[in-house]
Amino acid sequence: MALLQEPIKGVKEIKNYINGEWVDSKGKMVDVVNPATMKTIAKCPISTEDEFNTAVAAAKEAYPDWRKTTPLARSRMLFRLKELMEEHFEEVSRVQTQEHGKCIDESRGETRRGIENVEVACGIPTMMQGYYSEDIASGMDEWVIPSPLGVFGVIGPYNFPWMIPLWSAPYAVATGNCVVIKPSSEVPISQMKLGELAEEAGFPPGVWNIVNGGRSVVNAMLDNRDIVGITFVGSTPVGRDVIYKRCGETGKRVIAQCGAKNFMTIMPDCDVDRTIAAMMTSFYGNAGQRCLAASNAVIVGDDDKFYKNFMQKVAEQAAKIKIGYGLDESIQMGPLRDTDKKTNVVKYIEAGIKEGAQLTLDGRKPKIIGDYPDNCFLGPTIFEKVTPNMKIAAEEIFGPVMSVIRVKTLDEAIKISNDNPYGNGHSIFTSNGKAARQFQYNINSGNVGINVGITAAIAFFPFGGAKDSFFGVLHTQGKEAVRFFTESKVVIQRWF
Amino acid sequence: MIINTMAEGITLAKSLETDSGIFYKALAEKYPAQSEKILAWAKENEKFITQIERAYYGVISDAIEGCFALNLETEKYTLNKFPIESKSYNDALDHAIKIENVIISYYENAAEQSKALMADVPRMFIIIARKRKARVEEILALK
Repeated sequence: MALLQEPIKGVKEIKNYINGEWVDSKGKMVDVVNPATMKTIAKCPISTEDEFNTAVAAAKEAYPDWRKTTPLARSRMLFRLKELMEEHFEEVSRVQTQEHGKCIDESRGETRRGIENVEVACGIPTMMQGYYSEDIASGMDEWVIPSPLGVFGVIGPYNFPWMIPLWSAPYAVATGNCVVIKPSSEVPISQMKLGELAEEAGFPPGVWNIVNGGRSVVNAMLDNRDIVGITFVGSTPVGRDVIYKRCGETGKRVIAQCGAKNFMTIMPDCDVDRTIAAMMTSFYGNAGQRCLAASNAVIVGDDDKFYKNFMQKVAEQAAKIKIGYGLDESIQMGPLRDTDKKTNVVKYIEAGIKEGAQLTLDGRKPKIIGDYPDNCFLGPTIFEKVTPNMKIAAEEIFGPVMSVIRVKTLDEAIKISNDNPYGNGHSIFTSNGKAARQFQYNINSGNVGINVGITAAIAFFPFGGAKDSFFGVLHTQGKEAVRFFTESKVVIQRWF
Repeated sequence: MIINTMAEGITLAKSLETDSGIFYKALAEKYPAQSEKILAWAKENEKFITQIERAYYGVISDAIEGCFALNLETEKYTLNKFPIESKSYNDALDHAIKIENVIISYYENAAEQSKALMADVPRMFIIIARKRKARVEEILALK
């Protein structure tokens, strides 16, 4: 299959978008490397605190007028943005593959999910309506007005460079706030492209800002008193110990969506072929770099024959996965984002071997389709005879590694899932409604799948995990995002 | 060649629709008496492409879970070359039926394989296969 054309030619200079202008940063530049080809495709600035604060000042200045812009007018600007996103659908999808490494199917799915959030935010004239009670006491009325708050910060991760800032930013601006987005410096190109589309859509200067960088920008965001709230997606140590904690200290609202260790429970009455298809996409899609990727397969029952046949099929399917550059439409799994991430996953594979798990499929020397360096590529890996206390079963790996645990009962499967500190996306595969309900009722997870392997909430439902996977109260997407980005101003009225 | 991803599946579907559309346009040119009906099929092919793309690009799971959707041998879905100038009207209609059956078989098999993960693409494939079966009846009626 021929390679789709790369939209990024040469080396792109990433700029900040501040107050409606594309500006160079004074910070040092870091290379953005395509992990499939190992070619540098962009230079991304590590912006200074001053540059971030300049963006916040511009957003603060833009806020009063943007707030006064009617919800209908704001909605129309979002409709225009949506149109532009559709026009550039294929281009932005290929950009994601180039900068991140994911396959083109996955990038197109990510583009769609991002657009869906803009579509939902287009409904803001009705979504941010308040409510009213007449005669709360004789002659007195009371109502609530959802009001914007000011300037919000959005911190994006590397695994979904286009979509994740779109879980927040459209709702923030739709409700009358201004935003400063900090994309991951590893994958900044998608957000630069989105910024260009936002500019073309006609957002006034200062409403939509992008400041690229690393920790210094995050620290500036946390310290800046004009930032009223932050949405963050990243690791649990950073989300819990830095973002959530410091937002609490500085009085900022926060949504911190963090790490995961997702358990897929497989009942002996499952539809085997469909379950295995879902396992492939859940464990190995995006090379396992999803906060909703399954990581542990918990197989219920003591039927050895079922287990053996099932695992044989799983291993056969996983071994057949085509690995290579995601712009080749035949590729099913791309590389990990960079060599450090691959090294980290390899360490987990070595830990699994050391702890005595059975390495059924070793992905450390993958067969790559096409002439590409193997720096970031890993193949699908399967461990059997895993116990819940092993590192590979307990910790987030964020790579294409499946750890298989056998248990006797569904209760036991639920218990070991709930005993893990994370609770992002657990699923069950069964043909028994009672078992499915028992699982859904007792599992402690923000997202639950029933015969669904990737439990990603669509844009009009909230997206957030439980336990150490989420810190905050409200979630991104849909109605909850509208609540997060607005204050409930209550008015009580009496006339004499 | 085996195809596994829905990206490849969509590319193959578009190629089948385009190539069969080219055949129908040539057929219409050679037999003007039937051209209205035959050109309508070519036009319908273009609509099918739009519908398929809309399903694939427009429904999240159909793209995001597409990497493991299929396991199809492309050789089974090849449209053979047909020298329309040197063949009779009946030969051309027989070839049209062969084309339709290849495409129907592709859509039905792809729908069956992808329904575990996909939502709307297999549904669309089945709808198009059904329309093509009706088209086969129309072709037979022209003989």
